[in-house]
Amino acid sequence: MSKLTTGSFSIEDLESVQITINNIVGAAKEAVKPTKEAAEVTGPMGPTPFPSIATLRDWSFTLFDRYEPVYTPMCDQCCYCTFGPCNLEGNKRGACGLDMKGQAAREFFLRCLTGCACHSAHGRHLLNHLIDLFGEDMPINMGASNVIAPNIQLVTGLQPKTLGDLKPVMEYVEEEVGQLLATVHAGQEAAAIDYDNKAMLAGVLDHVGMEVSDIAQVTALGFPKSDPEAPLVETGMGTIDASKPVIIAIGHNVAGVTYIMDYMEGNGLTDKMEIGGLCCTAFDMTRYKREDRKAPYAKIVGTISKELKIVRSGIPDVIVLDEQCVRADLVEEGQKLKIPIIASNEKIMYGLPDRTNDDVDAIVEDLVSGKIPGCVMLDLEKLGELVPKVALKMAPIREAEGLSAIPTDEEMKALVSKCAECGECALACPEELEIPAAIAVAKGGDYSALEELHDYCVGCRRCEQVCNKEIPVLSLIEKAAQKAIAEEKGLVRAGRGQVSDPEIRAEGLNLVMGTTPGVIAIIGCSNFPAGTKDVYNIAEEFLNRNYIVAVSGCSAMDIGMYKDADGKTLYERFPGRFERGNIFNTGSCVSNAHISATCHKVAAIFASRNLSGNLAEIADYSLNRIGAVGLAWGAYSQKAAAIGTGCNMYGIPAVLGPHSGKYRRALIAKTYDDSKWKLYDSRNGSEMAIPPSPEFLITTAETWQEACVMLAKNCIRVSDNNMGRSIKLTHWMELSEKYLGVLPEDLYKFVRNEADLPLAKREMLLKMLESEHGWEIDWKKKKIISGPSIKFDVSAQPTNLKRLCKEA
Amino acid sequence: MVDTTKNTKLFTTYGVKTSKTVTTEVASKLISKAKRPLFVVGTGVLNPELLDRVVKIAKAKNIPIAATGSSMIGFVDKGVNAKYINLHALGFYLTDPNWPGFDGNGNYDTIILLGHKKYYINQVLSATKNFSDVRAISIDKSYIQNATMSFGNLSKADHIAALDEVIDLL
Repeated sequence: MSKLTTGSFSIEDLESVQITINNIVGAAKEAVKPTKEAAEVTGPMGPTPFPSIATLRDWSFTLFDRYEPVYTPMCDQCCYCTFGPCNLEGNKRGACGLDMKGQAAREFFLRCLTGCACHSAHGRHLLNHLIDLFGEDMPINMGASNVIAPNIQLVTGLQPKTLGDLKPVMEYVEEEVGQLLATVHAGQEAAAIDYDNKAMLAGVLDHVGMEVSDIAQVTALGFPKSDPEAPLVETGMGTIDASKPVIIAIGHNVAGVTYIMDYMEGNGLTDKMEIGGLCCTAFDMTRYKREDRKAPYAKIVGTISKELKIVRSGIPDVIVLDEQCVRADLVEEGQKLKIPIIASNEKIMYGLPDRTNDDVDAIVEDLVSGKIPGCVMLDLEKLGELVPKVALKMAPIREAEGLSAIPTDEEMKALVSKCAECGECALACPEELEIPAAIAVAKGGDYSALEELHDYCVGCRRCEQVCNKEIPVLSLIEKAAQKAIAEEKGLVRAGRGQVSDPEIRAEGLNLVMGTTPGVIAIIGCSNFPAGTKDVYNIAEEFLNRNYIVAVSGCSAMDIGMYKDADGKTLYERFPGRFERGNIFNTGSCVSNAHISATCHKVAAIFASRNLSGNLAEIADYSLNRIGAVGLAWGAYSQKAAAIGTGCNMYGIPAVLGPHSGKYRRALIAKTYDDSKWKLYDSRNGSEMAIPPSPEFLITTAETWQEACVMLAKNCIRVSDNNMGRSIKLTHWMELSEKYLGVLPEDLYKFVRNEADLPLAKREMLLKMLESEHGWEIDWKKKKIISGPSIKFDVSAQPTNLKRLCKEA
Repeated sequence: MVDTTKNTKLFTTYGVKTSKTVTTEVASKLISKAKRPLFVVGTGVLNPELLDRVVKIAKAKNIPIAATGSSMIGFVDKGVNAKYINLHALGFYLTDPNWPGFDGNGNYDTIILLGHKKYYINQVLSATKNFSDVRAISIDKSYIQNATMSFGNLSKADHIAALDEVIDLL
């Protein structure tokens, strides 16, 4: 039976009998068993296809040995079961026996698993939907690549060729998500470090789920395919033409919105009405049917921080929601301004009536008359018709009534004068904004201080929740910032999808040798500590230094909001290839899978490592040789925790913003413990000392300036050649001097010989090494005679895995 | 004297234990008596009013400064013993009895905190609070509930006055 495959066959002697086999239970796992026959079909199989909780535990623990879990509990208590609540302060054990570290690790793991479930469920929804539309046999098309599903291949060993081939991948992820979720139950796991291992697996599964999602939509929805010249998209609140009927889509799953866009196109409405989006649905709207590089008519309004602001502006005539990163108060907020809310996905139904089975025109009537504030519509064909019709009818009604939550000039004066400057709002503000001081200035008619808050404000409305005078603080800020908001017009390159195999071949050597100083991946949400410009500043700094800058999701949007003196965004100033000095946008949240996949591809294509079911070896390669660091500067979501943790398991470190200490668990190395900074040389199994980089797998920084220094330092890899190390040290030193005012104290730990030192500063640095660290220098030849604790050996093959060593 | 102990309103709760409020007098005594003090400052100290006072406090008792975030740039040529370190990493190292510290003489018994984002320092201090014996004294403008002892929430003017009192008392 094991030789049966999916498909159709006939039995010769039985005429007119045909048996169709749609699915063989366990067939996918059977196919990747490392047999000789399988190897002939799919290439060699690594040791860990379809990993479960225990399979990759050795690799997690290898990472944890150097990158120790650092717990920063969000709460002293555990309130999880009815034994409690238990006070765990001081690492006490609760009634169930779990200690504080275990509880913090479980909480962190649960965040990663939730993020993974979100992306994977999104992938499942899209996959089922697209298979329904296009069939299982639709060939996957990701552009000019043979390695088309690097995460899937790395983790499961499968090499999908069609949409149908993605089904067993999803089944695997779903099985593991269930197994992992079970361990959150009280009495299931005791050791913090084992919850950390589970978090790592959840992170890996997240990347697999994301990859399924984006492969399915790139293939079936006409998205750009590894296209460095994907079209530019208008972005920002100021890009929406409010004189037209306006549809606003919020969420992450573009399936429903494609029907709205098809309806608009089919009825000649694309220039008669506006469609804009927030969060990643916005990105995927602008990728839909844009593989021909035609400029999208759909616009990106912005991130979750802009959701309440766009609603309060009164601009939307209808809002359509799908899933993830959708505020929970949109019905209440929309209702105040007669903005109907249409929920199009079962994951968010908001308590609204389900009108899926009703006639579209009857629903339009009920929404327009205000009989219902919104509805659930799960039939996407009907959704496509319903939403534009509602917008067209609501627009004149809403315009006639002048609906907006932004106060008039007179109302503004009255509202600011009500403020007692009690300070409650400032205390509640997660960004610690000086709201009372700004309102105090506004009392004199000067709204500039309030206007300044706009870019720092994440639009959470906590200030309003605590205001004793019921002042709509957010609306005051928005009123003060009307001019700035109107001018919020930027450009972002539509998501290009994967990095192609030819790009990897061209760039792999530079990256591994360090002559391309690194890849800085700026991803994630908008919970920035000091406004949206942080991510622009960081991206520009590294682009000017010839790093490769990868971006995705909400960070990619915010980077596009700023322009140079010539009025150009970074996407116009720098090209979009995987090449030094380029900025490439992979796309929406699920497109983050293509960023981690880029590292896998470098190992597989440039270094010819076997990718299939071979996670530890590929991750080991990335950790030691690819100078890539992630930056999730505004990470707020559980998905961001999952993405970052998956990267960690893949050997890719990540820096997060200061809010992200609230995820509760970091992975930080002790740079002062020399025993942690050793690897094997796989040529003979001997130990080799290495420099302390990366010095963390996931940690936080306080300011973008600090983050710049950390990013540059942590691109240094043991495999750098002299030129590469010298380039990386140059950038690290320059950034440290620029933003911290000093040269790095531990620079000497990264120097193997004089050729590592940047030529322009070599003499000064040799003097420093001699005087501060006692290194012996031959001044005639300007060579280091003794001193370095690490050696340069161009042929060394560094690895954490003893099994890869020749003697093993 | 400024009453630095009255407003302990929380912006959120971390559970059952919150820091004790401290007067300027007690804060300066604790700083003075610490055997291995470390002045942990955040980027907020780049505000000139604060920076000047950080330097005075550090010099008064020859306290080394852990310049976290991007605060280090403020201490160049100020004649103080300041070194850059990432705050999250520092929070971890403070829980390790084997950390040699900045000078190789071992870990610290008291940290003094100023110039931080309250949500960030509170999160980092949740590690030192639960997994170490280090004493954390916050002399920041906001009440830092995961410190061992902290000023309450103060106005800007009161905060500066309180820091001046601490300087006078050292």
